[in-house]
Amino acid sequence: MTALAQAQIANTTAVEGDHRVKGRRITPYLLLIPGLLWLVMFFVVPMVQLAIVSIESKFPGYPGYYYLDWNVFNYANALSEFWPQLLRSFLFAGLATIMAFLIGYPLAYAMAFKAGRWRNVMMICVVAPFFTSFILRTIAWRQILADEGPIASTLNALHLLPGGHITETWVAVVAGLTYNFLPFMTLPIYSSLERVDPKVIEAGGDLYANGLTTFRRVTLPMSMPGVLAGTLMTFIPAAGDYVNADLLGSDIDTKMVGNVIESQFFRVPGGFPTAAALSFTLMAIILLMLFAYTRRFGTEELL
Amino acid sequence: MSSRPAPTDPTVRALVSMVQSGLTRRRMLGLGGGAAAAALLAACAPPTPPAAGKTDVVLPKDLSATDKVINWANWTAYLDVDDATKTHPTLEAFQKATGITVNYSEDIDDNNTYFNKIAPQLREKQAIGRDLFVFTDWMANRVLREGLAQPLDLIQMPHAPNLLPSLREVSFDPGRRYSLPWQGGFGGIGYNKNKLGRDLKNVSDLWAPDLKGKVVVLSEFRDTAGLIMQANGVDISGSFTKAQVQTAFEEVSKHIADGSIRRVKGNSYLEDLKSGNAIAGIVWSGDLATLKAETEDDSWTFVLPESGGTIWTDNMMIPITSAHRSNTMKLMDYYYQPEVAAQVAAYVNYICPVLGAQEELAKTDATTAANPFIFPTDTFLTEQKVQAFRALTSDEDADYSTLWSKVLGE
Amino acid sequence: MMALFSKTSGSFREAKGDLRLEAVTKKFGDFTAVDDLSLTVPRGSFFALLGPSGCGKTTNLRMIAGLEQPSQGRILIGDTDLTGSRPYERPVNTVFQSYALFPHLTVRDNVAFGPKRRGLPDAMEKADAALKLVQMGHLAGRKPPQLSGGQQQRVALARALVNEPEVLLLDEPLGALDLKLRREMQVELKRIQTRVGLTFIHVTHDQEEAMTMADTIAVMNKGRIEQMGTPASLYDLPRTAFVARFLGQANMFEAEVVSSTADTLTLERAGHHFTLPRKRAAVETGTVLYGVRPEKLFLSEKAPTDLPSRMVTLGPGRIIDVSFTGVSTNYIVDVPGFGAASAFEQNLDVDPVHNRPGDECWLSWDQGHAFTVATETAEASTP
Repeated sequence: MTALAQAQIANTTAVEGDHRVKGRRITPYLLLIPGLLWLVMFFVVPMVQLAIVSIESKFPGYPGYYYLDWNVFNYANALSEFWPQLLRSFLFAGLATIMAFLIGYPLAYAMAFKAGRWRNVMMICVVAPFFTSFILRTIAWRQILADEGPIASTLNALHLLPGGHITETWVAVVAGLTYNFLPFMTLPIYSSLERVDPKVIEAGGDLYANGLTTFRRVTLPMSMPGVLAGTLMTFIPAAGDYVNADLLGSDIDTKMVGNVIESQFFRVPGGFPTAAALSFTLMAIILLMLFAYTRRFGTEELL
Repeated sequence: MSSRPAPTDPTVRALVSMVQSGLTRRRMLGLGGGAAAAALLAACAPPTPPAAGKTDVVLPKDLSATDKVINWANWTAYLDVDDATKTHPTLEAFQKATGITVNYSEDIDDNNTYFNKIAPQLREKQAIGRDLFVFTDWMANRVLREGLAQPLDLIQMPHAPNLLPSLREVSFDPGRRYSLPWQGGFGGIGYNKNKLGRDLKNVSDLWAPDLKGKVVVLSEFRDTAGLIMQANGVDISGSFTKAQVQTAFEEVSKHIADGSIRRVKGNSYLEDLKSGNAIAGIVWSGDLATLKAETEDDSWTFVLPESGGTIWTDNMMIPITSAHRSNTMKLMDYYYQPEVAAQVAAYVNYICPVLGAQEELAKTDATTAANPFIFPTDTFLTEQKVQAFRALTSDEDADYSTLWSKVLGE
Repeated sequence: MMALFSKTSGSFREAKGDLRLEAVTKKFGDFTAVDDLSLTVPRGSFFALLGPSGCGKTTNLRMIAGLEQPSQGRILIGDTDLTGSRPYERPVNTVFQSYALFPHLTVRDNVAFGPKRRGLPDAMEKADAALKLVQMGHLAGRKPPQLSGGQQQRVALARALVNEPEVLLLDEPLGALDLKLRREMQVELKRIQTRVGLTFIHVTHDQEEAMTMADTIAVMNKGRIEQMGTPASLYDLPRTAFVARFLGQANMFEAEVVSSTADTLTLERAGHHFTLPRKRAAVETGTVLYGVRPEKLFLSEKAPTDLPSRMVTLGPGRIIDVSFTGVSTNYIVDVPGFGAASAFEQNLDVDPVHNRPGDECWLSWDQGHAFTVATETAEASTP
C-alpha cells in the first residue's frame, strides 16, 4: 500500500526525492507478487516434483515408495511401451479438432452474421453444456449412442453399423471429444468473426471475389486469430483427455495417453514414474507443436 | 527386500538428501488433489521401510471423549437407506443412542484409486479427515503391511465375537487385531434370463456367438481372471503360478480382441446392463440384486459358475492418523449386533459377516434370510467351490497389475 | 472444386455507357426505401446523390453496386441489364463509408485485390500506379490499421479506382475526415475524377460537398428524387420547398396568387404584393410558398426610394439579431405579418457594422431572384 501510495505521489507531483522514483520502480514488481506466488506454488513446484518423480525408481517390495536415482530410462521405457497410446492421443485430438472446426466454424459464422435476434439463443445453446459436469455429459452420450438408443438402433436396422455398436469404437471417442470441446472452438471463432465489419465482406464481393473467394481471402484470414485460439483450446485438452476414451472407448484400440497416465497413477502399483514421464512427454510434445503452430500461423501475422 | 538400497554414487546421495530436506516444505503445501498433488507427495526419497515401524507406532491422542465425531468413508450403496427420507436408519439410531455425529461419505469406488489418494498422507502420518475406511481383503493386506491402520481394542467391543467363525482367521490379519469385515460378496456370472432365453452355467458360456459384444466383465482382475482360472482348474486360494495368471489374462485379452467382451469396467458395468449394451457378464452378487430392484426386472440372475466362484470381504479399519478411535470402535461394535446387521443385510444384499443376523432377519423376511448369497452356509461354499483369491505379495501385486493394465490397453 | 476456387469470376459483365435506373423500387418489409426512381447518369460525369439520412440514397447506391437487389425496376449500364447480377459480376466499384479495407492485407495487397480476382497479370503494377495516383505509394507496405483516416481514405479510393470501373460509387467517403482534410480531399477527388474520366456517383448528406464536386446533383427525399440539375441551377431555382431548404437557406412564406400575365405572377400577403417571372414559379395558382435566399436581400435603415420596378420592398421590420461571420453579417429581421426573415449583407463597407437589434429596417430584393414552390401541406397530399 505504501509503495502504491508513493507511486501515486510520484505520478501526480513533480519527482523530487530519490525514494519516490524508487517507489515507482518497485510498484510493478510488488503487484506481480500474488500472481508469482500462485504460479510458484501451484505450477512451478508441482512441475518440479513431477519432473523429479519422472526420474525416480520404485522401491522394490514397497509399492508406493520411490527413490531418486536419475532413472531417465523411465522416459525410454514409457515411450517404447506406450507410443501407440501417445500417437493415438494426437490422432484423436487432431481428428476432434478438425471435426470441431468443421462444425464450430459454420456455427460461429451463423451466430456472427446470420442469427439476428436468435444470436443470444444460439449463444446460450453453445454455452449451456458448460453448466453440466463434463463427465455427466459424456455419460449422457453413452446413453445416446447405446445399442438400444435411437442412433445405433437405426443404423443397425439399416445394416450400416459393421460392428453392431457405436460405443466402444474410436468413432464414439472422437465424437465425444468433438462434442465436449466444441464450445472451446466455437466461442473464440465467434468472437473474432463478430469483430469483422460486414462492410469488409461486402468489399470482397465488390472487388470481384465471389462468395467462396471472399470467404477464403477475407473472412477466413480475418478470423484466423479465433481459429488459432480455438484449435489450440480444443487440441490441447483433447490430447490429454481420458474421460472420453474411458467412457466411450473400448479396451483394445481406443485408449489414449491420458488413460495410461491415469492407470499408472492410480491402479498400477509403482507406476508413478511412468505416469510422470508420460505426462512430461505429452507436455513437451504439445509445447513443441504449439511453438511450431504459432510460428506458422502466429498472431503477428494477423492484424 | 526389507532394507532400502542406499545410493552409492556420492552425487546421487547428495541429491537424495537435498530432496529429503525439501520434504518439510512439501508438507506445508498439502494435498491439492489431482495428479500434480499425487506427484508432489510421491516425490519422496526412500523413506524408512514401513514394515519396521509397525511395532513402535505412536498413535495419535484419542479425542473421542470430547470430540464426538466419526468420519466414515465407505463404498457406494453399501449401507441401508430409507427411500423416503434418504437417511440411513441404522446410522440414525446409532447417533441417537450415543450422541456421536457420524459423517458418512461414499468416497470409495475403487480400492486402488482411493488407496492411492490417501496413502501418501498416511505414510507421512498426516490426518486424512477419516476415522473409518473399508477395503477389500487384498487391499487391506497392503494397508496393514504398510502399517497404515490402528490396532483394535477388542475389549471395548463386546459384540465383535459375533464375527462368523470362517472369517476370524485371515492371512493378512491373524486374530483380527486390526480389521473387522463390513460385508462380503461373490464374484460370479450375471445375466438377463429373458433377453438371453437360456441359463448360463460356466464362464465359457459367456463367449457364445449370440453374446458377442454383449458381455461386460469386472476390472477387478481377482474376480474376472479368478473365475477364468477356476474354470481352468486352478486353485486360486492356493499357490498358483504367474503362468496360470497370464493364461487367464490372455483369455480375457482374446475375448476383448474378438469382440466378445464389450467392456472391462469397475462400477459402471451396471450402466451397460441397464442400457442394454450388455446382457451378461462377470459381476458381483449384490450388484445384481441392486440391478433387479432398479430395473424392476426379476429376470436378472446371479449364478456361481460350476467351476466355482470367488468370494471376498470388505474390511473396516481405522486409519493410523484417526483421533476418534474409541468412537469408531463403538460404531464397529454397534454393527456387530445381529439385529442391526440384519437390517443392513436386508438392504445391501451382500454377505453378512455377523452371527445371529440370519435368525434376526428370518423373523421379518424369511426369503432374504434364506438367500445363500447373503447367508452362505459352509456346505453351500464347499458345494459351489467358492474360493477367495490368495493374498498376493507386493511384487506379485505390482506385476499382475501391470500385466492387467496391458490387457485393458493402458 | 477448380471452378469454385478459380481466380476469375467467369460471369463478369463488360458494360460501357451511361448508367440508367429504370423505375427502380426497393422495399424492406413495409418500408419503401427507394420509390419508383428513374435516373440517367451520363458516362464520365461526377454525379452526386444528396439527401438527409434515410432518404434512400445509400440504398440506391447499394443497388447499383449489386449489394441489394431492387424489388422492381431495372439497372443498366449502356445496354447491359445488370439487374439481378452479383456485385462481383458488375463493372462497378465502391468506396465504402468506413473504407472497409482488409485489415489483414498490406496496402498494396488491398489495392491489388480486385485486379488479382480478375486474373490480371499486372495486378501489382496496377496497384502501385493507383497508389501513386492517390499519393500513397510510400506506404504500400503498411497495413491499414497503421494508417490515419485520410490515408485509409486514399487507399480505399485507390482500391476502387485500380479496377477502372465503368461506375465508381462513393458512399459518404469523406464523412469521417476532419474539415480541413475534407476540403483537401474534395479537391483531390475532383482532380482524380477529371483525370481518369470515370463515372463517379457520390452519395452525401453534405450539400456543400455535393455542390463543390458534382457536375449534377440529384436531391433525394423519402425514396424519390426531388430535383436534379447542376449545382447552380438547383440553388438558384429550387422546385420544391425541401430542395430550397436542404440546399442552402431560404426565406419562405405562404402567399396567395392574385393575378397573372403571360410572363409574370403576382402574389399577396398581409397587404403586400409580390410579382415574379412566371418561369421561376413551380406553382402558379392558389396558396404557394414564396421564397428568396438571404444573401439576395438588401437591408436599409430607411424606406428605400427610387428603386427600379423589378425590386421588391418589405418593411418596416425590426432587427432582432445580428451576427458577424467575417465574410458577411447575418441579420434576423422581424417583419409584422411575415415573421422572421434572414438577410446576409456582405461586408463591403469600410465602416464597422452599426445596425443593432431593435433598429428599424427595410428589406428589398430583385424579383428575378424570387421563386415559388408548393406548400409543404400541398406537397404532402400529392401521392
